[in-house]
Amino acid sequence: MAEKRYGMVIDMRRCIACQACSVACKAEMRVPLEVFATWVKIVEKGKYPNAQRFALPRLCNNCGNPICTRNCPTKATYQREDGIVEIDQHRCIGCKYCIASCPYDVRYYNPLKNIVQKCYWCQHRVDAGLLPACVEGCPTRAMIFGDVDDPRSEVSRLLASNATQVLKKEMQTEPFVFYIGADETAMSNVEEEINYFTEPVYFPKVRL
Amino acid sequence: MEHGDVNVVYTVEHQLPLIMYIGQYFFFTGLSAGSFVISVIATLLGRKEFKPIGKITAILAPILLVVAPLNLIADLEQPLRFWHLMVYYNWTSPITYGSFLLTAYPIVGIIYAFMVYTDRQTPAKVLGILGIPLAISVHGYTGFILALAKARSLWNTAAMPTIFIISAMVSGIGLVVIIAAIRLKWFNKEASPETREQDKRLILQLAQFMAYTIMMDLFLIVSDVLVLLTAHSDALEAGMLILTGNFAPLFVGVEIILGAIIPMILVLGPTRKSLTAVVVASILVNIGVYAMRFVMVIGGQTIPLS
Ligand code: SF4
Ligand code: SF4
Repeated sequence: MAEKRYGMVIDMRRCIACQACSVACKAEMRVPLEVFATWVKIVEKGKYPNAQRFALPRLCNNCGNPICTRNCPTKATYQREDGIVEIDQHRCIGCKYCIASCPYDVRYYNPLKNIVQKCYWCQHRVDAGLLPACVEGCPTRAMIFGDVDDPRSEVSRLLASNATQVLKKEMQTEPFVFYIGADETAMSNVEEEINYFTEPVYFPKVRL
Repeated sequence: MEHGDVNVVYTVEHQLPLIMYIGQYFFFTGLSAGSFVISVIATLLGRKEFKPIGKITAILAPILLVVAPLNLIADLEQPLRFWHLMVYYNWTSPITYGSFLLTAYPIVGIIYAFMVYTDRQTPAKVLGILGIPLAISVHGYTGFILALAKARSLWNTAAMPTIFIISAMVSGIGLVVIIAAIRLKWFNKEASPETREQDKRLILQLAQFMAYTIMMDLFLIVSDVLVLLTAHSDALEAGMLILTGNFAPLFVGVEIILGAIIPMILVLGPTRKSLTAVVVASILVNIGVYAMRFVMVIGGQTIPLS
């Protein structure tokens, strides 16, 4: 079998911020309540009447040089030959260090399974020759998935013919989710600081 | 942050991965490493009046280091899989260094304590010298856990392991002062007045030493904050978070003023001959170091990454 390196292009010229990818992901991956593997961040810039909304679908970048695999103490997080970063759910001890390490905050702790999970580009579907659920669900075909090493694939053609961006290039993680025409503000940290004094930071229940 | 009118219309809330189990673990390993170093210094100097201190700290170090990893295991979402750390180790992860150090250090510590209690000087000295690098790395690696999670700008500094080691010394000496004072007050009544006087002098000396470690700690914190304030935008945000933001009361108020400056005045100022003042300073110092763990672990994660 030929070498493969999966990648994704998200074309923001087409994205209508409908959240179909978030919903498709929730259903396909059985993502529990309150946590997300894929979501569309939306920011609003300017004042009425000169205001504009910008969206940014977010998911694991399945990085070329991921910090999560480097910092996982048990190698529960590992990278497949084709670039997909996987979590072995029988090996993960739930130390959550990977959540703290990932520069993109795309990992979550699954309270039903007591392990950490994230987007794996639906490797079960990809291995069966299908597309990831979010790509399949996108009504405007803004998400394109494929082999970036194959020059004839649609991702390769888009990458070759467009100006693309990745999130937080300075982290040296080599993200493999490429954006076309993403907004700079939507790409940076514009969220409010979280006030953890109102959150339980001490001793949740001990799980055995 | 920098743009004028920006509102986040929709994004998801993220979980707080590391909670105070981790901070507590840092606190206890710090106490353990600090008291071990004091114990070894006492053993190496070999003077007779240092013996009681050497003994208390020798037993304190392994006990605290048994408490510390319990926090870690309780923090795991799959505590019964903790043995995966040993079997499926990953050498690029600082947690892996930790799991081996946390095994080796208590073993050395317990044998060392045994040698100290049975009064075997030479093996105690050898084990002590072997143990010091272990004690320092068992605490230093916790700094790497934070520093190597590079996306969190409050954590990602090369000074982090050193800050942790020095603050471990501060809190460790503080604890030793408290325990030595308790012993002097309530458990050593029948000793001769000269010995009691000697013990008191020793406690005061230890407190002076503590004041010097506080100075080093303050120097490191100031340099860390200065660099945060002048580095990239995320770092600036982290610096403002602890100087004027949500964590300012804990950082400036508890960690710096209550936990470092006031104890330093108590120990070096006009009250420096008073046992009570020195004990109060030691308690404050421990509160300050605990606050420092809180600010680092929790504060570091409150700056959103998406
Ligand atoms: S985006 Fe985060 S979780 Fe995904 S591969 Fe990169 S570092 Fe790992
Ligand atoms: S939570 Fe699981 S996947 Fe994440 S670092 Fe720990 S063991 Fe690895």
